[in-house]
Parts: sequence; C-alpha cells; structure tokens
Amino acid sequence: MDEVLQQVAKLITEVVGPDFLLGVEITRDTTFSDDLGLESIEFVALADKLNAHYGVDLVAFLADMDIDEIMAMSVGRLVDHITARV
Amino acid sequence: MSRFLFVVPPLTGHVNPTASVGGELLARGHGVAWVGHPGTLRTLLPDDARIFPAIDDALEADIRAKRERWLALRGMAVLKFFWEEFLIPLGHSMVPGVEAAVRAFRPDLVVADQQALAGPLVARESGLPWVTSASTSAELVNPLRTMPKVDAWVRDLLHDFAGGDVRFSERLVLVYSSKALVAGEFGDEVAFVGPALSHRVERTGFPWDWLGGSPGGGAAGRSPGLAGRCVLVSLGTLNGPAGERFLGQTLEAVDGLPVRVVMVAEPRPAPSNVLVLPSVPQLALLPHLDAVVTHGGHNTACEALAHGLPLVVAPIRDDQPTVAAQVVAAGAGVRLTYSRARAADIRSALTSVLDEPEYAAAAGAVRDSFLAAGGAAAAADRLEKVVAG
Repeated sequence: MDEVLQQVAKLITEVVGPDFLLGVEITRDTTFSDDLGLESIEFVALADKLNAHYGVDLVAFLADMDIDEIMAMSVGRLVDHITARV
Repeated sequence: MSRFLFVVPPLTGHVNPTASVGGELLARGHGVAWVGHPGTLRTLLPDDARIFPAIDDALEADIRAKRERWLALRGMAVLKFFWEEFLIPLGHSMVPGVEAAVRAFRPDLVVADQQALAGPLVARESGLPWVTSASTSAELVNPLRTMPKVDAWVRDLLHDFAGGDVRFSERLVLVYSSKALVAGEFGDEVAFVGPALSHRVERTGFPWDWLGGSPGGGAAGRSPGLAGRCVLVSLGTLNGPAGERFLGQTLEAVDGLPVRVVMVAEPRPAPSNVLVLPSVPQLALLPHLDAVVTHGGHNTACEALAHGLPLVVAPIRDDQPTVAAQVVAAGAGVRLTYSRARAADIRSALTSVLDEPEYAAAAGAVRDSFLAAGGAAAAADRLEKVVAG
C-alpha cells in the first residue's frame, strides 16, 4: 500500500516537476484538482505513466465519476484503485 | 432585406466575431441589432450600431467580480463554477432584455452566441428561428466526452434552463475556425467560416514609432534579421496571480533577446526591448509581428494564425487547452504549461517558433485555410440562406 503511494507520488513529481512540489508532501489526502492543480496536459501525461507502470486506465477510472467526485479526487483514492486492480 | 438580432454575453471575445459578421450584414443593407451589455458593446461596435440592453452596469460589475473569484479556482471546480455560477444565471438575467429587444426590433433571425443562453430560449418562446455563433470551436469536439457523467450534468443544466442543448442550433452553427485546426466529422449545419475580421472597429491607440513602422506598413517593411523581429505577449483580459507569474517569467525570458516585445499587461518594470501596454489594437498590430505568445484564447490564436504567425501557447482554462492542442497538431506552435513554465522554457519555445521555419510555414497553411473559408462574408451568406429558408 505504502509502496503504491510512494510510486504514485514519484510519478506525479515526474509530471509536475520537482521544483513545484517543494514543501508539498504528497499524502493520501492530497487532491489532484485543488492541491496539485494538475493541468489537462499533465493529467494526460500522468495517465500515460500509470498505464505504463500499472496497466491502470486513469481515464476509465474517472469516467465513472460525477463532477463532485472528480473535484474531490485524492491521491489516496487513486492508490486504493490501483491496489485493488494490481 | 432581413433583420438580424445578435445576442451576446459581456465578453470581448464573444462580441468581436458578431461585430464583424453584423458589420458585413449592415454593409449588405440588412437591419442588424445587438442585445447584451451596452457599455461593453459600444466599445466594440460601430458608432451607429443599434444596441438593446439586457445586462445593466451593476450586473456586469457582478459578473466581473465573479470572474475574479473564478480565477482562483483550479481543476474541475472551474467547470462547476462556470456553469452553475456564471452561464445559467447569466442566461436567466438576460431573458427580459432579450424579450424586449425581440418585441422592439422584430428580427427575422436570432443569432445567439454560445454563451448567451437567453437567445435560444427567447427565440423558441417567440416562435423565431435561431442560429449559433460559436466564438470557440472547443464545444464542437466536446472536451467532456471522456467524462460521461460530467457531460450529462452539463446537458441536464441546459435541459432545465431551455428544454434542450441550446449550445448548438440545428439550423446553423457558425464556427470561426477551419478544418485545418478542428478535426472530426460534423453535420451540414456546422459552417467553418474562419475568423471574422472585417468591419471590426479598434479604438485603442498604439505608439507605431516604437515599431519603427507605420500601421499598414507590414513586417516586410522592416529590416530583415533577428533584430527586426517583434513578438506580442497577450494572456487575454483575465489572468490573476498565475498570470503575473507567467508574465514575470516571460519578461526574464526575453531580456537580452534580439527581439522587440509588446506585452499586454498592467504597467510594470520591463527590459528595454519590451513595451508594456494595458491594451493594444490587436488586428492593426498583427501585420507587424513575427510570433505571438498567448494563453490560447480562440480569438487571439486564430487572429494570429490568420496572419500566418506561429504561436507559443500556454493554456489556462476553458477552451484554451483544446485550442493549444489544435495549434500543436497543426504544427503552428509550441505548447507550454501555464502555471509552471520557467523563463528558460519560454525563451526556448519562442526561439523555436521564430527560428524554425516549419512553424511559420504551418501557420501559413492555416492562414490559407482561413482565407478559403471566407470569414464574415461566408458567415453572412449562410445567415441569409437560413432566413431565405
């Protein structure tokens, strides 16, 4: 579980660039929308990395969510999804 | 002769194409009127344009204040706010004014901007035909297609408001772009007319001496070589704190570069090769430029491409990521990450689009597609056809 969290945090850092995460620790509670402010192109890049690493389809995962769920999407929820699938 | 009523929100980028198409219809002898916020419309339309009020100054100020709050939002919260706090309430507010305009002007056809939802609603209630003026091509490709529940939520809001998806007329959807930028298959009602630039009125002055040329002289009139190059940096009228960061990085990026830069921004300290102005007459300026750095607003991007200028696009929100993707796919520019791009990234992107001729060549191909699309004249042809039945 912790291992998946660490790996996801690493992938996010690769996408966003380490300079922009200085002082921000990625935890289970970190949200993609509000905390990370992931831009659409970064989101696509993260989806590619998750797919390559875990074979997990981030777009399909989000396709099931309504707007409030997407707004509240946290790193923890993604980690749980990956853990359940892998 | 026929009568056309344009229904528009208080947003420059949405009024501008209608100013051009309406100007063309007026030149053909038709009756033309606009309904929206008179203060916004008067700055963008000809002096003698007929304007009906649907948004008073207090509501317009309220909308601007809302947009300030909206700029602080990120991710999906932007979309939620846009529909729930902006588009739907604006639609409700505009209904009485649009109804009054319809009664007073008795149009044959209502031309509704895609963000003026009161237009289709009132037209339907009045038994009038209505068509869509799509000031961006992004809705056509539906950026929400990968999120069906969010897409359905938008459609539900539209159904509650007007009983249907009034973003798209079944008769005619005017799109100010071309197939060179917008991929996909569309119905016959979708008309790609290219940017509508004729008949536009620009009231902002510019210190033409700074460019070393006169308006209309064109880039060809300047001495060749890098030193003669000129770049426009424009992030649109709304940007907020992240915009300040990007503008700061851009100033650092161009410091010492052998280019002249016109930056649209509030006054600030800048290197000697940068001219900072709060607003510019963009259409008059474009023929003097070699590249444009933009947030990817549909108008600025397409106006630049209409002049064959390559782009550096740092999209912020709304349709801008879609526009940026179109520009990159066409080969006419480089995309940057708005909230994180550093001076070195911006300098490298700008140097690429200026020095590598492929970008200007691709922008030239888009310009040719726009010329073939016909602009305001093609839009007016299509509108006349709708009225003729």
